[in-house]
Order: sequence, then structure tokens, then C-alpha cells
Amino acid sequence: MTPYVVTGLGVASAIGIGREAFFDAVHAGVRATELVEGQRPETFDPSAYMPLPANARVAEVRGFDAAKYLGDKGLRSLDRLTKLLVVAARLALHDARLKKDGAWASGPDGKASGPGPAETGMVVSNAYGSLEAITELDRVAVLEDARYINPSRFPLTVSNSAAGYVSIWEDLRALNVSVSDGNCGALDAVAAADAMLENGRAEALLVGGAEAMSEALFLAFHRLGAGGGAAQAPGAQGTVQACIGEGSALLVLEEPASAANRGAPALAEVIGYGTSFRAPERDAALVHPSPEAMQRAVEDALADAGVEARAVDLVVSGLSGLRGFDDAELKALGRVLGEDTAVVAPKMGLGETLGAGGAIGMATAIALLRLSPGPVAPPYLVRGGLRAAVRTVLVTSLGYYGNASALVMRAAAS
Amino acid sequence: MCSRALNTRRLGPSRVFVTGVGVVSSIGLGRAAFFEALEAGASGISPVGSFDASPLGRLYAGEVKSFDARDHTTQGEQRRMGRCAAMALAAARMAVDDAEIDAGALAGPRTAVVVGTTMGEARILAELEYEWIVRGPQAITRALIPRYGSTLLPIHVARAVGAQGMVLALPAACAAGNYAISFAADLIRSGRADVVVTGAAEILQELQFSGFVRLAAMAPERCQPFDLNRQGLLLGEGAGMLILESEAHAARRGVRPQAEVREYGLSCDAYHITRPHPDAAGSIVAMRGAIERSGLTPADIDFVNAHGTGTKANDLAEAKVMRDVFGDRRVPISSMKSMLGHCMGAASALEAIGCIFTLETGLYPPTIGYDTPDPECDVDVVANKARRGKSDVVLNNSLAFGGYNAVTLFAKPGVLPPPLPRPRRPARPPAVGPSA
Repeated sequence: MTPYVVTGLGVASAIGIGREAFFDAVHAGVRATELVEGQRPETFDPSAYMPLPANARVAEVRGFDAAKYLGDKGLRSLDRLTKLLVVAARLALHDARLKKDGAWASGPDGKASGPGPAETGMVVSNAYGSLEAITELDRVAVLEDARYINPSRFPLTVSNSAAGYVSIWEDLRALNVSVSDGNCGALDAVAAADAMLENGRAEALLVGGAEAMSEALFLAFHRLGAGGGAAQAPGAQGTVQACIGEGSALLVLEEPASAANRGAPALAEVIGYGTSFRAPERDAALVHPSPEAMQRAVEDALADAGVEARAVDLVVSGLSGLRGFDDAELKALGRVLGEDTAVVAPKMGLGETLGAGGAIGMATAIALLRLSPGPVAPPYLVRGGLRAAVRTVLVTSLGYYGNASALVMRAAAS
Repeated sequence: MCSRALNTRRLGPSRVFVTGVGVVSSIGLGRAAFFEALEAGASGISPVGSFDASPLGRLYAGEVKSFDARDHTTQGEQRRMGRCAAMALAAARMAVDDAEIDAGALAGPRTAVVVGTTMGEARILAELEYEWIVRGPQAITRALIPRYGSTLLPIHVARAVGAQGMVLALPAACAAGNYAISFAADLIRSGRADVVVTGAAEILQELQFSGFVRLAAMAPERCQPFDLNRQGLLLGEGAGMLILESEAHAARRGVRPQAEVREYGLSCDAYHITRPHPDAAGSIVAMRGAIERSGLTPADIDFVNAHGTGTKANDLAEAKVMRDVFGDRRVPISSMKSMLGHCMGAASALEAIGCIFTLETGLYPPTIGYDTPDPECDVDVVANKARRGKSDVVLNNSLAFGGYNAVTLFAKPGVLPPPLPRPRRPARPPAVGPSA
């Protein structure tokens, strides 16, 4: 892929909202996945029909108040997914200095100083859409009558609705692309953004993902016996479940020349991408982890970046606590990078955020590119240790259906 | 994959060809039946049979009644997928057959699968939600849960054809087909794939149906794009899948290309979540983009396959685009939604295959039910009967929820000069819209 610089980052996560708050929380290894005595989920309350299981923890963006970032007008018709995404977009555009105080940046002469609405767009990943809105309408349709469903909420049931609302709120007109590839989607969004930027379809793109907590999402994982735990170091006692999380993260990607033209400093670079799919050996299987797909995705990402395996200082993995998947991912990483390379798992702290997972992984990678080697282990460490200052980071994600994606990031040239 | 990708890129832009198409539609399954029905101006509209629509006061849709997943998929596949994936897979298999491509030639990392949709397996989700809402969370069928998710559409197809490259779903609402086909073409042009199985699929489902009724957008019986007495859209369902190949790959196996996927234009209205911008500014940018990026001018366009939903907002916006882009030249335009209803995510994939029909046969598919021209839509509608005309270069226009606009340009193989070098920097489009 063409190398791109990251000139801005917007995050609304369970461990912090905004770049600095997020970086601080990552560096401190904050865990929103830990069970807090007496704390109940904020986004739903299953206690009416089932005793809350002892391990029913979810990693929510607790106390999330979109009005704090967006003002209190126009929010009523939006769902949680849209609010999370719009907040991340607004923060990212301002962090990248594409906007200032809500307006597109301009020079002293009043003319645009960089990409404006017609040159800026977004590519965003989401796995399950607005289950909140779909459930709301389904409840009305099933328990009352389909004739009474709220037409102003209906557009929220369409998968790209949240992304569409971002374009309206932030006036992004170059393009708007939604991708869906489970927990690999946000890394694939970078590949789609590459196709758009390298062909001049936009100058700056918001790239990342979002997923919102909902009762339906929690129940789905809970029924499968796959929700309620959290990523742990391999060999740790306990759960084989993931802690379901939510959040949004958007990176602003530009070609280095575009960023330099407007004097925007780079937070990091994105330099290589790989993806792969493998069908399961058993025809009956649907959900299956593929170490072969993960290995191929990593090898391709390194080749695409022109980076040797031994140059990787740190892996920001997608390990989530689902033991079979975690083992497969670690196995693939071991085959390519050896067993000593530091592997961290931000899902230990943020939970499995699905469509946002890779985006939060990229945001974590940027936070960790500031780490220096030392006696202190990196946060969310599951294997290995740092040998040198973190310059090159591999971000990985292993999908539930035999798919896997990987991305190479490195420290910005100083 | 990637080192080869870099080498390919140095050779300059590759042409991307359509070498096979597959169709599941309310007017026919497979290329031959679909093309015949397009030529005849057949209607796929009928009373909805899969659920009781009568309390909603609307009865009609372009439901695909002749599709039985068992005719197109294995028992194992039927156990692990819903109707939407089954339609996508059936259409993909037809496209593979149509492209006369060996299974071996598709297997491996150089084949990708990119599928568009709006809601994917909406019926599976509805079933899960029904169990939960009516009978409680313990009644939710566990085995059904992993079968939901748009992600699965390309996964099922990739498994069936042995693809090991990118598998990606593009949920781009009613422009999803154009998004998928266009992004697939980019994957080939940039050297990331030799072959992409691409297209889109959508199924009719009760919640969507109710939603469009509640938006007061649904016609009672007929979808009449550009007609003065239009009463709105009708929903439909189906799948359109295409095999896209690099020029080199197609040449190596000696296959006859059906069309060139030349270029596309994208934009976003950033205006309203469901309505097109009344100025159609974004849609104009997208159409001009597709033409200019192809190295062509509006004078080169022979026909436009319309988005043509049959709502007044859409028709007026689209007529405005035609006037703005083509000026006084009345380029023929037609809406297949008059025959199929609005197949949402699948719509622009089926319409892309309609473009292939035009390039191959020299016929423009008709807009049926076109009785009374709307003076506010001063466009040359291909009324009621297929029309023969010049058909070297055609556009597939689409708009979608979220303000998405996507226009893809298809050309008869061999009529266009080699593609332009890829621009490194965008030509900044003229400022558009109210706040630019």
C-alpha cells in the first residue's frame, strides 16, 4: 500500500474519550473489563427477565454524554452507535487540525488551508449495525403492530446509517464507505481507504470503526457462552470468554505530502496491510479460527510494508479471551515473529469491540509507539517483552469465520 | 501477494473485465432468463407471500418466488446460511459458470470476494429477535446466532469458490452493488487480486417493508419512475454477482470479456439520511467523476441505467443530474426498478448486469408502467419497450440512504483506449452545495 501518515485520532472508548485521555489510560493499562462489585450495565438491564450472571460484565463507555461534544441539539433521533461515531469523528477532525472550533481550517487569508468538505471522507467498519434501533422497532412490531413503528428511527436500522449521519454532522462529501468484516473490519477499512486515497478520490479520510453495546449484542454472546470474560495472558486460570465492549476510533489518514503541505504533524504512519481467508477443514464448521489465515495476513502485511519480521517491536493483537481464537492467533504470530516478540492485547482492557476492534488496536498502537524500553512491561502484555524502543508495530485481528487481517504501523519520521 | 502487487503496479493501470454474471431476480434466474425478461419488459411484481403484509395497507413487491436454495446449494451450506447468502451464493455459482472459469483458477490468495448488502441476513435477525421478545432470552436458538451478520455473505461465497484473498462486505445501502463492483475493480487495478467475485444481495423482510410503508414511500401496486402519476417505490429482492478479472488473467485463459469496468465516481451528500439533496450536487459530482476518470466526456455516454426508485424526490434529483451532466443532449435513461422493485443493496448490482445486457445486445431495458411524462422530469425515458441504440459506453447510477452516491461506468470491450494513468492527487472538484 501507499504509506500514509496519521494526522489525527478520535476515540470514544471504555477507558477514555479523546486522544490524550485514551493514551493515558492505555499507558496505565486501565481495564474497563474488570467486574466492579455492584456495578450494573448502563445501556441495558436484563434483570427484569434473568438474574444477571455473575460474570456478566461488559466494557461500556460509561457516562457517555454525546451532548458534551456535539451540543444538545439534534441528538434525539440518534442511537448510541451514531453518537459514538460522530463524537470520534469530531474529535479526530479537530485533532488533525482539519477543523478548528467546528469550522474547516483556513489560513490567514480566509482560504482553505487543507482538505475541505469536498476532499474529505470516511471509511468505517461496523459489524452488527444498530441492534438497539432494530430491537426497538421489532418490539413495537411484535408486541404492538408494525403500523406503529417510528419512521424517524427506521433509517437507523440500515447498516451504514451511523456513517451517513457522520457525513451530515461533519459535512464530509468526498466519499463515505462502510465495510463489514467482523472484528477485522477496521483493519480492512485501511485497505479500502488506501484504494480511495491512492486514486485521488479524497485527500483526507477518517478511517476506523465503531460498535455499540446493546442488550441484543450482550445476549447473543451470552447465549453462545462467549461473553462475560476478558482477554488474559495465555495459561491464566479462568475464562474462555470475551468481555463484550463498545467504542469508536477514527484515524485521519493522508498522504505525507498532503499533511506536510498544511503543516500537520504526524502521530504515526500506516505502511502495510495483509488479509487472508481459509475455509475450515470440516464442511460443517461455520465459526472457526484459522492460524493459517492469520499467518498469511501477517506475512503479507510485512511484505507490503517492506519490513522484516525481526524489525517488529510489538504486536497489538486481537486476543479477546476466546481461547481457541487466542491460541490460533498466538500460534501464527509465533510462526512468523518467534515467541519472544512482545504481544499485547488491548481487549484485556477494552473488551471485544468487534467492528471497532481493529481501530482501537490502531489507536493503542499509536499510544504504544511512544513507549521506551525499560524495566516496565507494556500494558496488556500477554507474551514476550520489549527489546528496544517501539518503532514498528504490527496490529492483528483474527475473525470468527476463517478470516484474518494485519496492519503494519511505525513511528512518524521526525 | 503484496510483492507481486507492487510489480503489477509498476506496469501501469490494468483494464478490469467482467467475464461472467449470475442473477437471482423476480424476473428470472440466470443470465439468459434475466436478459430475456429485460428485453421483454417483464414485471416481477406480485403480492408478497413470505409474510402477511395486508395490515400495512401495501401488498406488492418484487419477491423472488422461483428461488429455492436447495436447487443451488449443498445441504451443508443450507444448514449454515440464510436466504440472503443462499441468493448471493447461487448468483455467484451462476457467474462462475458463465465465466467458464475452472474451480482451480479461482482457488487461492489471488481471488477476493466483495459483496454489498443493506441488511444481509435480516430474516435470521428477525427470527432471533422474535424468539427473544416473545419467549425470552433462553429461547433464542444458539445455532442461529453465528449465521447473522453481513460479514457472512462474502465468507460463504469465498468458501464455495476457494477464494483466499480479501473477503469483505460493503453495507452501502441502496448503492451497495456499485460500491462492491467498483471497489472490486480497484483491488484488481492496484494488483491486490487477479479475480474478484463481486456483487450484492438483499432479501425482502417484514421490518424493512414496514419501515418503507411508514416513511410513506411505498406505492400500492406499480413502481413508475419518472411518471407524473408515480406513487412511490416498491421493494424487491435478489442477487446479482459478477466475475471481475484483470485483463492479463482473462487473456491467459482466453476468455471473451463481456464488459470493461472502467471507472467510478463517489460522493456523499452530507445532507439528509434518507432524502437525496434537492440540488443533486453530490450525485452530479459522482457522475462527472465516473466520466472524467474514465478519460471520457459526457458526449461519449450512450445510456444511463437509472437509480429510478419512483419516488418524486429521487426522480427530480436524477433528472437534474441528467440535465446538469448532459445539457441539451437527451441521453436515454431507464429504470429497471419498474420491473424488479427496489432490491435495495442488490439493486445496483442487478442494474450493473442490466448494463452488461445493454452492451451485449444493443438494447436499453424499458421503464415499464411509464404512462404520463412528468414535465418536471425532462428526460428521455425508455418507455415500456426495450429500445435499440448505440451502446458502447453506459453509466450505472445509484443513490442511497446516508447520502451515498456511486456511479460506475461500463464499456464494451475494445472500444475505449487504455485507461488513464491513475491520478496521484485529486483534481479538486468545483465547490458544491450550500455551505461550500
